Amino acid sequence: MSTTISISPMTRVEGHLDIEVTVDTDGAVQQVIDAKAAGQMFRGFERILVGRDPRDAVQLTQRICGVCPVSHGMASSLALDAAYAVTPAENGRIVRNLTLGANFIQSHILHFYHLAAPDYINTDGILDMSPWRPHLSSPDMVTGSAAAALVGNYVAALSMRRKAHQMGSIFAGHMPIAMNFVPGGATKPVTAADITAFRALLAELRSFISNVMLADGEALLSLFNDYTQIGTGCGNLLAYGVFDLTSAGTSKLLARGRYTNGALGTVDTTQIREYVSHAWYTANSGNRTPAAGVTEPAADKDGAYSWIKAPRYAGAVHEVGPLARMWVNGDYRYGISAMDRIVARALEAEKVANAMDGWLSQLVPGGPVYTHKATPSSGTGVGLTEAPRGALGHWAQIGSSRLTQYQIVSPTGWNASPMDDSGQHGAIEQALIGTPVRDLKNPIELLRVVHSFDPCLSCSVHLVRPGKKAEICRVDVAAGV
Amino acid sequence: MSNTEVMTKMGLTRRDFMRATSAIGAAFGLEATGVMSLVGDAQAKETAAGGVPVLWLQGQACSGCSVSLLNTIFYTTIDDLAVNTLDINFHPNLTAAVGTMAVAQVERTYRQGGYVLVLEGAIPTGSGGKFCNLWPGMTFDKAVERYAARAAFIMGVGTCACYGGIAAAAPNPTGARGLADSYGGKRVVKIPGCPIHPDWVVGTVAYILANGTAPALDAYGRPTTFFGRRLHGDHCPLKDRGEAHRPGQGGCTKEMGCRGPKTFCDCNVRLWNGGASGAKGVSWCSGAGAVCVGCTEPTFPDGMSPFYTKIE
Repeated sequence: MSTTISISPMTRVEGHLDIEVTVDTDGAVQQVIDAKAAGQMFRGFERILVGRDPRDAVQLTQRICGVCPVSHGMASSLALDAAYAVTPAENGRIVRNLTLGANFIQSHILHFYHLAAPDYINTDGILDMSPWRPHLSSPDMVTGSAAAALVGNYVAALSMRRKAHQMGSIFAGHMPIAMNFVPGGATKPVTAADITAFRALLAELRSFISNVMLADGEALLSLFNDYTQIGTGCGNLLAYGVFDLTSAGTSKLLARGRYTNGALGTVDTTQIREYVSHAWYTANSGNRTPAAGVTEPAADKDGAYSWIKAPRYAGAVHEVGPLARMWVNGDYRYGISAMDRIVARALEAEKVANAMDGWLSQLVPGGPVYTHKATPSSGTGVGLTEAPRGALGHWAQIGSSRLTQYQIVSPTGWNASPMDDSGQHGAIEQALIGTPVRDLKNPIELLRVVHSFDPCLSCSVHLVRPGKKAEICRVDVAAGV
Repeated sequence: MSNTEVMTKMGLTRRDFMRATSAIGAAFGLEATGVMSLVGDAQAKETAAGGVPVLWLQGQACSGCSVSLLNTIFYTTIDDLAVNTLDINFHPNLTAAVGTMAVAQVERTYRQGGYVLVLEGAIPTGSGGKFCNLWPGMTFDKAVERYAARAAFIMGVGTCACYGGIAAAAPNPTGARGLADSYGGKRVVKIPGCPIHPDWVVGTVAYILANGTAPALDAYGRPTTFFGRRLHGDHCPLKDRGEAHRPGQGGCTKEMGCRGPKTFCDCNVRLWNGGASGAKGVSWCSGAGAVCVGCTEPTFPDGMSPFYTKIE
């Protein structure tokens, strides 16, 4: 008999996420045979933005997500650079990259140690208090001195991610929200003292990433090598690319591209469409490109179970994130799995941090950071960048010097999307299907697969709670002590 | 590694935290009411069996206030708070448990009562509250009512929780609003900010632990220690630094639209993202050549935008 496992709330993600899977025995292995991922919160950002001064989007969209706000600031600024027809000053381009890089490092450390690692460490006898207790248990979890060492690094990582924000704040004014992004560049004059202070913190972070975080990543890879075969998912990868190395954006630290059905390819944004057959929107909202996006709620729609639209590239499901970026860029081609996502994320942190040191040397103290251009009466722009957790796009239209249309396609939209019009499951759903579940009361395998994507539900903009689903034989996660 | 060894590695004890909190106020010329004198009382409240229970719930939030809280260092660090001072029995971003295991912990804390309830994010009232559901059968608006009932203290963290904030911006698609001023006669302590400065939250918690009572609050429920003075004034470090008319020029950004004259907070003396206990931070919004967007005010964001437009 099949069994339904419902996990609500899923913790150690950003935002409100529900996971529901059906487990059955197939080929003598108890495993997930069906999966649904759905979020539970809706704010309506795209509607809030319409009618406002375009420049306000840079600040307002950062409040979509407090874990990756700088990526929204970057996407919004790039979209408005295009709509304003302005080329950012070189210092401005570099300062934007350094600010975004600081948050990439912060987010990757936070995810690795504080959101994902607890799925692999048994903290009993080490951290015997909330919020670490109670926790799910599994015999394969790291114990003893190895667990204590990881907990020690968990603690060290708390101060490291704080320092990453401190570093970003030198240019940004404050973090997590960055104040220094504007169309045309950045806001703070560059000084030699700021470069020196930034570089000192960066050196400390580079040392931690290379010597501690990568070592812990390798240890997890070795101890949990079975997770290179678990959570493999759709196998298609998409990256918009990030960290423009020229103001035209033609060269990036992490390139734009995709990997579809085993072949590398280029990205043409007109091939992106959002589908809504299983999302609570009218048929009129579906099968549209983001530039022509429409968001009309239909809360009672039959067959829908999520308020995330389902973005697809040329009709195909793609996953996004550090693994997609590193794969497309040729930096990581070992495999696509739960563990590969974790390892690729750690390696990407090192790559970005090392590059940032070079960018600091390119800054010109006292040089312009901003190119002025008045708000145009009309214009359109697309801002394609990456959040730490994957490809992020903003599509803006200006009329009468106000925003007339604003659409956001977020990374967790790609990863946590529901089924599309062709009945294809979203990326996280596909990664869950086939995942073995040893103990129905302690389904730690599900947590490891879901957390490997670093979901960020607030970014998924359209989300609202799913409808009540049919119960087969529902079991809840062990009720704990 | 034993529990004690982990704490030692973290380098702080609860006593250290309470001592660190005594650094509040004087250094920055802030109103130092009460918080200065918390040290003795707080140490008396230390208990052998763990810390003060905390339930932290998120509604229409972005987690930005939680992420900002992780940056705490002026009074103490987040690991010290979590290990030595507070029992964080639920926090969506930190709790190890998931699903019913996590909910059981929330309910256990609720039954015992006497906890600090921290609420982050706005409350959507449209569609029967279903725009934000915490777990089966528990919308955020229901959760606020339920868990406020047995809380010893209720704190709203972030402008969304305090006043509706970003989620309530026009046309307020979900009927979002902030917390009430009080629940069951208990006045809500409101720490606005988009995001909050971690010192505002940690300093207020320290005051509550030390004194067993809320600090002095202004008409909007904000502790006057942190929100008692207008940002714009003679104390502003940009006061005599010339006027900036465009980004990248440096100096006072009033002509560009700085909301300092309409905003109460201490960002320009406390500064953000500091790197050491008791030390000032690195920067702040106008200090980075941007404009203060007035994020600690009940009228944020609609009453403050367009941000890059000079106040009439």
